Amino acid sequence: MRETDKLAVLTNPSLSEAAELMVKAFAQRKTLIVAGNCRVRYVGRANSTLEPGERLLIIKADGSLLVHRPVGYEPVNWQPQGSVFHVHAREGTLEVHAVRQKPRENVSVVFSSVQMVSALSLDDSGEFLLYASEEDMHRAILLKPTLLEEGFTPISYEKKVEPGFVDVYGVDKAGRLVVVEVKRKTAGKEAALQLAKYIDAVKAKANREIRGVLAAPSLGKDVQRLLETLGLEFKALDPKKCAAVLKKAGTAKLETFFREKSQ
Amino acid sequence: MFKLKVADAKLLRDMATAISILVDEATFKIDPEGLKLRAMDPSRVAMIDFEWPKTIFEEYVCAEPTRMCINISELLKLLKRASKDEAVELALDEKTARLEIKITGKYTRNFTMPTLEASEEEVPTPKITFNVKAKTTTQGLSQAIEDAQLVSDHVRVEADAEKLVLNAAGDLMGAMITLQKGSDALLDLEVKENSKATFSLSYLSEIIKAASATSDIATLEFSSDMPIRIDFQQTKEGKLTFFLAPRIETE
Repeated sequence: MRETDKLAVLTNPSLSEAAELMVKAFAQRKTLIVAGNCRVRYVGRANSTLEPGERLLIIKADGSLLVHRPVGYEPVNWQPQGSVFHVHAREGTLEVHAVRQKPRENVSVVFSSVQMVSALSLDDSGEFLLYASEEDMHRAILLKPTLLEEGFTPISYEKKVEPGFVDVYGVDKAGRLVVVEVKRKTAGKEAALQLAKYIDAVKAKANREIRGVLAAPSLGKDVQRLLETLGLEFKALDPKKCAAVLKKAGTAKLETFFREKSQ
Repeated sequence: MFKLKVADAKLLRDMATAISILVDEATFKIDPEGLKLRAMDPSRVAMIDFEWPKTIFEEYVCAEPTRMCINISELLKLLKRASKDEAVELALDEKTARLEIKITGKYTRNFTMPTLEASEEEVPTPKITFNVKAKTTTQGLSQAIEDAQLVSDHVRVEADAEKLVLNAAGDLMGAMITLQKGSDALLDLEVKENSKATFSLSYLSEIIKAASATSDIATLEFSSDMPIRIDFQQTKEGKLTFFLAPRIETE
């Protein structure tokens, strides 16, 4: 057994030793990982039982609980943050109860044996950044056309032309039609060929000069040559920059306004 | 013992429709004076506050206060089977915890449905000082919302002493809808302070569409970046009010 402020690990502990460490971990708001043979029962908006088997129980510092089977990315049982925990070791079992008040939900994990318990103090203040999706990139170009080029005026987006949809469609400062194909990742040859098809489709209808622009963070191998052959252009477009253009808007929760606030 | 009867099924149906916009499982508080419901939608962005006094009903019997939770869209399916002038009776059988729905007209239909575990949640009223109070026709309001929906999925509602403006900005198109004070659509406007707040059009349009079946006049109250309160004046007694939280933009 190793125990420091940051980390405590028990391997093949007795159930009472495991319970003792778990109680301590709850009190100190640590993140807890337990591996062992357990059954799980959930009572709440629905009921479920999980027959005995070897699983991972994770209880996080904020009081959320996850039971993971050895396969699959989703937990089989869970309880959101703010749950209240009770731990008892008795008669050959170690019981962990996680109770949530509203709605009333109860997850009970009953271990018959424990292979490992670890209590961790994890320090994590990093921010999670989600970069723009392809659709966000379209919207960013519409909001700030200079992302593409000076003097570009968007007319439409996701415009249907026969083989599919043109991502963004507009006019440049010389009055030429511009068909833009946006890729979120390195653009390959398929992207160039797809754009060429759109250009042909638009050419069949519009009697004016048309430019095709492939906008992507970078180009794949040999794609530049293909673009030149097809008479198309490349424009480097960074999803991160696009994300910065889009304002994040969200709807507030009504609860925020249940208490009187000064305006 | 709880039992009620309405002479015209439409009354119940319209009300169930309005409730179903926000709530799937509706917990009614029932007492000898009438029934009430106050609930938030699952994403906790909007709230309905609904009250019907016993005087609305042809018959109303409630011996002691109770709570009844039902799946409102299932009830609505049954109520839709009733035509306009047919009478509807609801009766709660406390022993079996089932609700009986009796529709009488050209012939008689008796449906039963289970009640669910009633929610104990007490939803408070948002505490807001409103700076704008605008009385509109529900027809005018719902037209204006439909206009805004053509170009965007959210709308900025603005008011000054003279007018109420709905400003919608989409990715490519924009719309500005002006309701001038004293016009046919805007019956009255009181403004303590010019205000503006942005709301989701999908919530607004669903709420207004459903509630306009029950009401001709809607009173909007709001302040900058605060929830909007929309009260739909009922033809008879009763109250149907919605709150909707604003969209907040963060850089």
